[in-house]
Amino acid sequence: MNDTTNLIAESAEKMFSDLVNKAVLDKAEEGVFADEIWRAICANGFDQLGVTGSGTGLADLFHVLVVAGKHALPLPLAEACLVNRWLGSNEVFGSIGCVEASQIVDVPWGRQASVIIGIAPEGLVRNKGKNARAGVNLAGEARDSVELDAQESVACIDDPFALLTLSRVCLMAGAMQTVLDLTLRFAQEREQFGRPISKFQVIQHQLAVIAAEFAASLKAADAAVEALGTDRFITDLAIAKARIGEAVGVVNELAHQIHGAMGYTHEHQLHHFTRRLWAWREEYGDEIYWQTRLGAIVVEQGGDGAWDYLATSR
Amino acid sequence: MLTFDRAELPAEAETLRAEVREFLKSNSARLPRPNSDFTTGHDPAFSAQLGARGWIGMTWPLEYGGRGRSFFERYVVTEELLAAGAPVSAHWIADRQSGPLLLRYGSEQQKAAYLPGITRGESYFSIGMSEPNTGSDLASVRTTAYRMGDGYLVNGTKLWSTDAHRNHYMVALVRTEPASDNRHAGLSQVLIDLKNDGAQVRPIRNMAGGEDFNEIVFTDVLIPEDRVVGNPGNGWEQVTSELSYERSGPERFLSAYRVFVEFIKAVGKNPLPHQSAAIGRITAHLATLRRMSISVAGMLEEGKTPAVEAALVKELGNNFEKLLPEIARLALSGSPPSEGFRQAMTDTLLLSPSFTLRGGTREILRGVIARGLGLR
Ligand SMILES: Cc1cc2nc3c(=O)[nH]c(=O)nc-3n(C[C@H](O)[C@H](O)[C@H](O)COP(=O)(O)OP(=O)(O)OC[C@H]3O[C@@H](n4cnc5c(N)ncnc54)[C@H](O)[C@@H]3O)c2cc1C
Repeated sequence: MNDTTNLIAESAEKMFSDLVNKAVLDKAEEGVFADEIWRAICANGFDQLGVTGSGTGLADLFHVLVVAGKHALPLPLAEACLVNRWLGSNEVFGSIGCVEASQIVDVPWGRQASVIIGIAPEGLVRNKGKNARAGVNLAGEARDSVELDAQESVACIDDPFALLTLSRVCLMAGAMQTVLDLTLRFAQEREQFGRPISKFQVIQHQLAVIAAEFAASLKAADAAVEALGTDRFITDLAIAKARIGEAVGVVNELAHQIHGAMGYTHEHQLHHFTRRLWAWREEYGDEIYWQTRLGAIVVEQGGDGAWDYLATSR
Repeated sequence: MLTFDRAELPAEAETLRAEVREFLKSNSARLPRPNSDFTTGHDPAFSAQLGARGWIGMTWPLEYGGRGRSFFERYVVTEELLAAGAPVSAHWIADRQSGPLLLRYGSEQQKAAYLPGITRGESYFSIGMSEPNTGSDLASVRTTAYRMGDGYLVNGTKLWSTDAHRNHYMVALVRTEPASDNRHAGLSQVLIDLKNDGAQVRPIRNMAGGEDFNEIVFTDVLIPEDRVVGNPGNGWEQVTSELSYERSGPERFLSAYRVFVEFIKAVGKNPLPHQSAAIGRITAHLATLRRMSISVAGMLEEGKTPAVEAALVKELGNNFEKLLPEIARLALSGSPPSEGFRQAMTDTLLLSPSFTLRGGTREILRGVIARGLGLR
């Protein structure tokens, strides 16, 4: 990360830790758009990350998304910024989904969006209609759908599906950090048999496993961001989505086990992060999807050529 | 500690990679062996060739036969050798850990005496840590080396020392003073000349059929006083400092690599979807581990001691080495395995129990990580 990227990530950290809390997350799940946070985001220019002329690049956006994941920011920051990037305009609030038959589906806060872009195999389409049907993913995040209407196509030099995949990769790396932090803290505070449960070796080992999976996930995510704009991007993205997706199953299971019944309550904040991890690993290609794409690339190299290909990546 | 900073292999390292590959091609008659485990191919002629090219002890200063190269360059040489299934075990321990130990703690006379032979690929070292009653609890070693005239008298038994029957020297962790309340005090590291000091070396057959590790019995073996490495009594600090070198390298995640190669060959150019996914899954793990290990090479290059990071690489890497064959075999289920796959699989499965034992067990590594997390 260079200095500006660091500065941007730091101010995002400050903004999100000031504004996002359990009450806000609960409200968002009840269907209340986090308007105040959205206005703060716009006021600080965070809706322009990656937009040409904003002085920031895509890498800045993705580093901020790690921070957003860490706080479970209840807004589709990636979608909003990418809409601004592709339309070259300063929309009030735009979102993105995938075209499926005659609809655009899984649009984060589509009900709130003044413009919705659909990703189709042929390219991007811009929708007119705003009558989104409300829906949610397993984390209770708004995932709406709209009928496909005017179908005005949008020109774009990016690989939209890949960039949205990378958004989930970065969000997951951030959320996993919080799951680790919460679990470390809980284990050191909760006492049973006269001592903190973190003093039991089996708990220490489970925390070590969570830490290792997180370290691998963070490295994989960072490598994918680093590969933006290179010919290895899809490979590194596939590596990241597949690797983190696999880590999620392990991390969530152990984190909840360590938290005991307390972590199973609605009142505890852990589930805001674990449910997001479960939801995000499905979005924009699950492990099998990306493993299969990655495998096809490696198979192309053959058994003897695979090493050359792997070792050429950074 | 959980952030593995970006580290890019410098251009010299990539030039070197091409040279190593060229060299490996010219040795294709003896390559690849069916497994890429770093402990199974003891080949002095091959090690001497590597030494002649300057690829052993390559990060050490020129005056001791080193080449003053970076840890990144060493990383590239080691990963290329392992991936190709090259026989590297003769010089491996000397290059990875005994040499660096001597460089850091050894006397001038020891450095001059031992290091050049290592870099030539002619002088090989074993590790003498474990004993019959000492495994994970390393500080409990009972082998003694007590002052006797101008030297030290060694008594006791070392166990599991890989290649002690083939190698020239061993760095043994011993008690130079009786055990006291401070378990870490009174330990020292001494150099044993395995061919000439009079230690009795007996190979022990392993479950894979190989005779690689050994029992070494010392009965009143007298060694000169200049065999102590570092200050007498400083053994614990020294032995723990070896471990960052020992734990983070590519040998901690490439032991099963030949299975992957044969797996890709066996599925051919038209894999079934689940076979592509299996190959992709393995790739995702491997590529991530490789980046973490290169990042640790970068930390070593900066003179850091990344003990917890090394433990993280070993923990993830050893689990992956065991997972890889499991993924591959089921993905090929139903199709007759190629001879190459069968061989690689047999070798690797039989070796696999050792992956999470040698160099510190999984349980011990998780303890190291937990300590790094502030839990102990
Ligand atoms: C192929 C191979 C090569 C080797 N080469 C060498 C060599 O060259 N030189 C050398 O000195 N040694 C060598 N070793 C020995 C190796 O370092 C030891 O096997 C290792 O340190 C573990 O010791 P142990 O086998 O006595 O098991 P133990 O320490 O007896 O452990 C048995 C089991 O109990 C667990 N355990 C132990 N203590 C704890 C604890 N506190 N908490 C939780 N679980 C615990 C262990 O993790 C393990 O699962 C080699 C081993 C192998 C398999």
